[in-house]
Amino acid sequence: MIGTPDWGHTTSFEDINGDVAIVGIGETEYTKASGRTARDIGAEAAERAIADAGLEPADIDGLTFSGAFADFDVAAFHEQFGTTHEMWSSPWGGGMSWAGTAPYLAARAINAGKARHVLNVFPVAWATQRASMTGGPGEVHATQTAKQNLEVPFGWFPQPVYFATIMRRHMLEFGTTEAQFGAVAVACRRHANLHPGAVMHGKKMTIDDYLASPYLADPLRLFDSCLISDGGAAYVTTSAERAQDLPAPVVVVRGVAEGLSASGTHWSQQRDFTSTPQVFSAPPAFAMAGLTPQDVDVLTAYDPFTVVSLMQIEDMGFCPKGESGRFVEGDTLFHDAGKLPFNPHGGLLSHAYVLGIAHVVELVKQLRGTAAAQVPGAEVGVYGGYTGAHASTLVLTKA
Amino acid sequence: MAIKRADFPLPDLEDELTKEFFAGAARNELVIPRCTACGAWVWYPEPACPACGGELAWTSTSGRARLFSWAVVRRPFLPAFAEMIPFVTALVALEEAPEVRIVTYIVDTDPQELTADLPLEVTFRPLSFPTVPDRAVAVPMFRPRP
Ligand SMILES: [Zn+2]
Repeated sequence: MIGTPDWGHTTSFEDINGDVAIVGIGETEYTKASGRTARDIGAEAAERAIADAGLEPADIDGLTFSGAFADFDVAAFHEQFGTTHEMWSSPWGGGMSWAGTAPYLAARAINAGKARHVLNVFPVAWATQRASMTGGPGEVHATQTAKQNLEVPFGWFPQPVYFATIMRRHMLEFGTTEAQFGAVAVACRRHANLHPGAVMHGKKMTIDDYLASPYLADPLRLFDSCLISDGGAAYVTTSAERAQDLPAPVVVVRGVAEGLSASGTHWSQQRDFTSTPQVFSAPPAFAMAGLTPQDVDVLTAYDPFTVVSLMQIEDMGFCPKGESGRFVEGDTLFHDAGKLPFNPHGGLLSHAYVLGIAHVVELVKQLRGTAAAQVPGAEVGVYGGYTGAHASTLVLTKA
Repeated sequence: MAIKRADFPLPDLEDELTKEFFAGAARNELVIPRCTACGAWVWYPEPACPACGGELAWTSTSGRARLFSWAVVRRPFLPAFAEMIPFVTALVALEEAPEVRIVTYIVDTDPQELTADLPLEVTFRPLSFPTVPDRAVAVPMFRPRP
């Protein structure tokens, strides 16, 4: 890269390459409206992750969760498991971008002797909550002053409209075609069809189906858009040393970084309109890991809309800026034949909209060799997290 | 979290940071905050210049802009929009300060005619929604320049 763009910055992280490993993963069912609460979903994911790690709830002495949602915090943990012990905790974990940076928080706590086994958990029940409009992505945004007064009155709301506008600009600047966006949707659906736990498991989608799906806001179609789901997942991080004593195959944290956009979630004002803060996140994460994009066997990246996948693929360095449309054509993203196996669980588009936590769990499965749509011989996996304002990059390897 | 304001999604004309934008529109003026110290245009509005801390003054502009990007909205994402669809919502780059992107409606043209960087001019129109009876707010919209 020639110079560093000035529309955002990298959060400064210490080198934790090789310090910690992910040793337990747990998931609930992923569904449409289930009637369950997010707290109940979080508890089930936590219980399964702890069991997968070969630990007891009393062994978990660190917890990272989403402070913005706070559905499963320390109090909920103790209530669920009947425990009372001291726990280190941070509200800067959970899903989205933070599903990628939670292992960094865990590493810092573990290295400082504040915790031994750290659980990161993220549940969501937006499919259930949608009916009563208590929660969901649009509602959060509509409360921000600039959006409420300078965007919503002009019909620029909610996310499908923002990303339709970004998609259009990507098409205008780089010649990206509708079928190229469709290639992302089709690859994710192909993977979901291979994954019995995916919400869209039984539903096929061809590129013709994609091109026949209705526009929500041209050029963005229904099939460019993520699902709305209930579900949750969790994972347990411990020191690389301690991981040797535990039953699960060890997946080591090699690199982690966070990038921030100076314009926050005001997408309309981001200087580089067709980029993500991965520009500030991926290079330092790969540098910490001592790896490059060419070394990556499997990528899971936050995919609320197909254009976000394309932008992240570019911004993480898998292809030059503007060339992701041509790059993803054909079988590039397929788990078994592709140059860049992408979201082999089906992603937010076709697996479940659980805001990235399942993306990290899927990477762990891929590196253990136990995924439903297994990438043959996967040794290096990367997660690209995204919220608009933030991006994170998490580089994991098989031990 | 929910928006309690009865006139939503009309703009809140009491909002300190943005009310001058709509006051300008009511006088047929497109005004944008500009730093009185360093001259930077500041958008979205801030309490002070993020570059130098200087005082901001709402400043008249030419009302000329270029089409940066747009979407043709086909789903009524809010009940207020139900009778408007399809409509074109867009980002336009101000001629004297292209880094200022204004979110607006594109009017008086067929969406098929829109192209990148299309020259536009402001037109002030009353904005009203059937869900907010008997209220209208003058807002800047944009149309192709003749
Ligand atoms: Zn200034």
